[in-house]
Amino acid sequence: MAYPSMGEAHRRITDYLNNFSDAVSDQDVASLAQLFSFSSNSPSLLSLADALNFFQDANRLIKQSDKFSQFGEILAPLFRLLQSYRLGNLVDAYHAFEKFANAFIQEFRNWESSWALQALYVIAYEIRVLAERADRELASNGKSPEKLKGAGSFLMKVFGVLAGKGPKRVGALYVTCQLFKIYFKLGTVHLCRSVIRSIETARIFDFEEFPRRDKVTYMYYTGRLEVFNENFPAADHKLSYALTHCNPLREANIRMILKYLIPVKLSLGILPNAWLLEKYNLLEYSNVVQALKRGDLRLLRHALQEHEDRFLRSGVYLVLEKLELQVYQRLVKKIYIIQKQKDPSKAHQLKLEVIVKALKWLEMDMDLDEVECIMTILIYKNLVKGYFAHKSKVVVLSKQDPFPKLNGKPVNS
Amino acid sequence: MMNQATNTQTLASLDPNSVESRYVVNASQGQTSSYVPSTAGSEAASWNMYRVDNHSVENGSFSNSTYHHVQQTEPSTRTVQDGSNAASLATSSSLGTTNAQPDYSGYNSYSNSTDPYSYGSTGYQGYYNGYQQQPNPSYSQPVGAYQNTGAPYQPLSSFPNTGSYAGPASYSSTYYNPGDYQTAGGYPSSGYSHQTTTWNEGNYSNYTTHQYSNYTPDTTGAYASGNAATNSLHYQQHYKQWSDYYNPTEVSCAPGTENLSIASKSTQVSQVPGVSGGYATSNSQAPPSFTPSWRPEPSSSQTPSLQPGATVTGGYDSYWKHGASSFQNQHPTPVQQHFQKALDSKPSYDNFQEQQKTACPQGLNLQYPVAQQSSQSYQPPLQTVQSVDTRRVSKVQIQTNPRIASNLPLGLPKMDKDGSNNNTTAKPAYISVSLTKPIEKVLPNDAADSVLKVGMFPKSLKNYVERALGQCEDEKQMAACQAVMKEIITKATNDGTLHTRDWDAEPLFPIPNADMVDKNSNLQNPIPVSAIPKYKSPTKRSKSRWEPLPEEKLLDKLDPVNSYAAKYSSWVHVNEKDRKPAGASSEGKTDIMNSIRFPLMEQKSASKTVQRPVKRQRLADGNAADNGDASSDSDKEQNLTAYYSGAIALANTPEERKRRENRSKRFEKVQGNRAQINHFKAKNAGSGNLYARRASAMVLSKNFEDGGSRAVEDIDWDALTVKGTCQEIEKRYLRLTSAPDPSTVRPEEVLEKALLTVQNSQKNYLYKCDQLKSIRQDLTVQRIRNQLTVKVYETHARLSLEVGDLPEYNQQCQSQLKILYGEGIEGCHMEFSAYHLLCVIMHSNNNRDLLSSMSRLSDEAKKDKAVQHALAVRAAVTSGNYVMFFRLYKMAPNLNTCLMGSLCRENAI
Repeated sequence: MAYPSMGEAHRRITDYLNNFSDAVSDQDVASLAQLFSFSSNSPSLLSLADALNFFQDANRLIKQSDKFSQFGEILAPLFRLLQSYRLGNLVDAYHAFEKFANAFIQEFRNWESSWALQALYVIAYEIRVLAERADRELASNGKSPEKLKGAGSFLMKVFGVLAGKGPKRVGALYVTCQLFKIYFKLGTVHLCRSVIRSIETARIFDFEEFPRRDKVTYMYYTGRLEVFNENFPAADHKLSYALTHCNPLREANIRMILKYLIPVKLSLGILPNAWLLEKYNLLEYSNVVQALKRGDLRLLRHALQEHEDRFLRSGVYLVLEKLELQVYQRLVKKIYIIQKQKDPSKAHQLKLEVIVKALKWLEMDMDLDEVECIMTILIYKNLVKGYFAHKSKVVVLSKQDPFPKLNGKPVNS
Repeated sequence: MMNQATNTQTLASLDPNSVESRYVVNASQGQTSSYVPSTAGSEAASWNMYRVDNHSVENGSFSNSTYHHVQQTEPSTRTVQDGSNAASLATSSSLGTTNAQPDYSGYNSYSNSTDPYSYGSTGYQGYYNGYQQQPNPSYSQPVGAYQNTGAPYQPLSSFPNTGSYAGPASYSSTYYNPGDYQTAGGYPSSGYSHQTTTWNEGNYSNYTTHQYSNYTPDTTGAYASGNAATNSLHYQQHYKQWSDYYNPTEVSCAPGTENLSIASKSTQVSQVPGVSGGYATSNSQAPPSFTPSWRPEPSSSQTPSLQPGATVTGGYDSYWKHGASSFQNQHPTPVQQHFQKALDSKPSYDNFQEQQKTACPQGLNLQYPVAQQSSQSYQPPLQTVQSVDTRRVSKVQIQTNPRIASNLPLGLPKMDKDGSNNNTTAKPAYISVSLTKPIEKVLPNDAADSVLKVGMFPKSLKNYVERALGQCEDEKQMAACQAVMKEIITKATNDGTLHTRDWDAEPLFPIPNADMVDKNSNLQNPIPVSAIPKYKSPTKRSKSRWEPLPEEKLLDKLDPVNSYAAKYSSWVHVNEKDRKPAGASSEGKTDIMNSIRFPLMEQKSASKTVQRPVKRQRLADGNAADNGDASSDSDKEQNLTAYYSGAIALANTPEERKRRENRSKRFEKVQGNRAQINHFKAKNAGSGNLYARRASAMVLSKNFEDGGSRAVEDIDWDALTVKGTCQEIEKRYLRLTSAPDPSTVRPEEVLEKALLTVQNSQKNYLYKCDQLKSIRQDLTVQRIRNQLTVKVYETHARLSLEVGDLPEYNQQCQSQLKILYGEGIEGCHMEFSAYHLLCVIMHSNNNRDLLSSMSRLSDEAKKDKAVQHALAVRAAVTSGNYVMFFRLYKMAPNLNTCLMGSLCRENAI
């Protein structure tokens, strides 16, 4: 690495300081945000970091002029951050960043207008990313990773700063989304609840007033939460909102949304087109969809087993498993249709033995008792209309709409 | 020797503290030349070191063989002192050069810490050599004494002890780092250092004048020699003179007002310990040097360091050096020594052999007061504490200086402690020669001295002492026995029969009247108190310092001994202030911190080092490494806290521990304020001394970036782990409300039997639950985490499942087993993951838990019969296949049935 000359280093640092104070005095948030987004690895910041590492006494430069020294609390840790970051010492960098961010928040609080929101966004983003990386560094050293947690509490503080009546409140949703990301990563999703409550119930917030990208992100995460709660209609609503409002060109984002939306829709009895799965590379669902279409219990189980890890990690495994009842319904319906073709008069009397046979053909070894149990549940869940004749082991189907469609309603539970 | 030398060299090279090294050089005859340079280079600091050495030498002389050596090669002895290190040296000496080497290494680390001081590395080598050779013999004797006193030291080492700790720490530090001394001062109580600072500030002028005058009269001759020596090769001669001085000096010291008081104290002390004449002399010397020297010293430091050095006397070479470089340090050091002696003698005597807890507390108290008293000369008090613990001889140590020095740029903490009590092993280990701020280091030296003393006793003697103490029934008797024993030992030492007598065959003396002991103790107490008044003036000073009153030292008021806490607090304040005044505030603080740590470390190390020199070496190495690592202040702080905790851990009794903890908390607060304090010295010195265990703990603590407190806890647990002795198989469970008593805790073998009896017992669940809980408690208390632990928890888990005691299962067994399995301890992991799955299913509203526990199952687990069963149960439940569920219920392995039964009830299936 070619070290800059002393003069060059000095010049770069002063340039940076000038840019900073100019951006603050001009309220030029774009350039200010650029000065903070160190993880973008922009060449100007990299060279600045080199200069700082070479020119060790940058604090002296800050103190030199009132213009800079009034921001000394912000700039000194920022420089340290850049130095540590450049040297790959992420934990130190995180510590410096937290100091810097706190100082910046302090300053931000004093600014009446919301001009610096963009810069705050950058900080909220950077602290999360940096904390994740610092945690990885800590974990690789065998220490307990706790920086992300720290970043979480810092962002809560930022949320408190933004959650007011002023113009800054529109920034609250961005911070909330960053918090969601942290909580989901940490597996502490219960912490989301307080933020959601204040977003959805506080009068100062008008959801439509927030920036669209934040709304989409927010809907995505709250939709996921609803999936965990198995509240499928709400999840459908939120995820659909996210899907319809997100940037259609961002396929990765769409895919992320669909990953949860498809199981939700399946639970509601709505099957996706094959091309959708192909387009967004969600083929792990295709067999599930096939199983639902065909009533192929074996295929469903195989699909679940095949992608068990993936489904477990994304948290949709249990949702997909519950599709089993729909598969049973489909299977019974198929048997019903075949019987109808043979003998329409007796089609609504379904012998359990036939179902057992069908299952056997699917290599599902179930005996009469089990099938009886399943049929009872199908009737109970309103997937099948009819009644059960226990003595004769026959299911008597309703003559009207024996297999009601879900049509967007969840299975009774 | 070579190794040591090399180490020192390396250290020296590493550290800028050429001064220390130079000191070393000085100690050796050849060193003289180096001396001059050193004085010039590192100034006072290096000088101090030398003086310390000298002191140690004196101590060594006490020990007899060493003594002669010392006289002959006083420089060498002095070097020993340097080593408060000396402590390490002493051990090494007993062991042989190898030990000395380790010590040296420790020193080296110190030197590193003192690097800022920039000592001459070359000088170090010379030093080391000299030290090892001559000092070693003397040390060995002291070592024995140390061992005895070691225990007391430890107690002392506790925060209150910190002073003593500091002493040990100061030893090492003294050698190399003046800075350490300062830190030591901080330990005993930052107050110490504060005092020193005050000394430096306002009192200096006064001190210099008084002390100087006193000194010159007292040890004029010696002084002169000292002066000459400082620069010239005369060192040896000087040393001799010094040795002479010591005796004379003490006497001379008496003349000084402060000295007088001190002397009185010292005399008392001497009586108690039955210390040889040398002791008394040392005491007397110390007093004079202390009082006068202290105050004067500061001034002297300003002026010519040489004069103070002279005052200090033999030990004093180092002092001289210090004086040359920083006279202040030297002077203070002598003062400290006096203090220490007085204190030491009393407490140490009491506690001597046994280092009884009671004695220790007293000693601590005394020390504290002393420290407070000496507040002016912070170092002295600290030293006293240390000395009290281990140095009964406590000839004269000049620790105060270091602190003072710390206040000023130059800290000359020289702690010369004479192990007079034990064997007349006077160990002026303290060399508060800190270059600029390390005065506090002196304290550590003291501790080291104590160690040395312990080491000096033959094993048979130790056995004898144990036997004698074994017949005691209560503490009073113990104290009385100790007093008697001290007399016997000192007598033997004086006769030269200490090592020749057959202690094993020696008849035990009748148990002395406890009342006598009490009287003694009372006497001792008063003495300290009296000393305190004088000393108190310093404390007052410290207070005044708060209000910027530099000259308050002059005001010698009798502060109530009771107000220790207040004093301490004041000390702390003073320290803070001192730091501020100190030019390099941050550095100074760091130094203080280090020194503080050092003391702790040293105490511990001292006690243990005597016994296991080898470990010391290792530790020392580790220290060196630590030094390299210690870069950030925060790390240092953590270390300090760790040290504290370690010190606390040393405490023998729960009460003591508590007390110490309280104190330590106080200190920690102070520390918090002094965030800047460096760990360097502490690490260096301390690490050398610490046990391997502790060392590892330290490493851990270092690793924790923010968790100073956490690190502390770790160490605590390590050090406090109880080893049970109870042989009862059955034991009722009782929730602990205090620290566990080993006599009621069952060791592992017994617990195994207990588990078997529970398993085979026909009694009801409540009985078994109670028994298992008590077993678990004993396991936890002893930190046993192995297959037995797993077995106990599994047994309990199964029992609770059988009876459907799900809360017990969930909250206690399941969570613990999860952790234990996570640590890789073998057990019926699969069985219990199946139980866990079933439990999660039971609380079926928590899908996320189910998901996460399912995703955590390994492939191997999925093949396990029990787990498969649990998974099948889950599938049956989610799909509503209750036929399948009950089939699974029928064929459930293990205790899955029980859980499924609960499941049925819960879900109203």
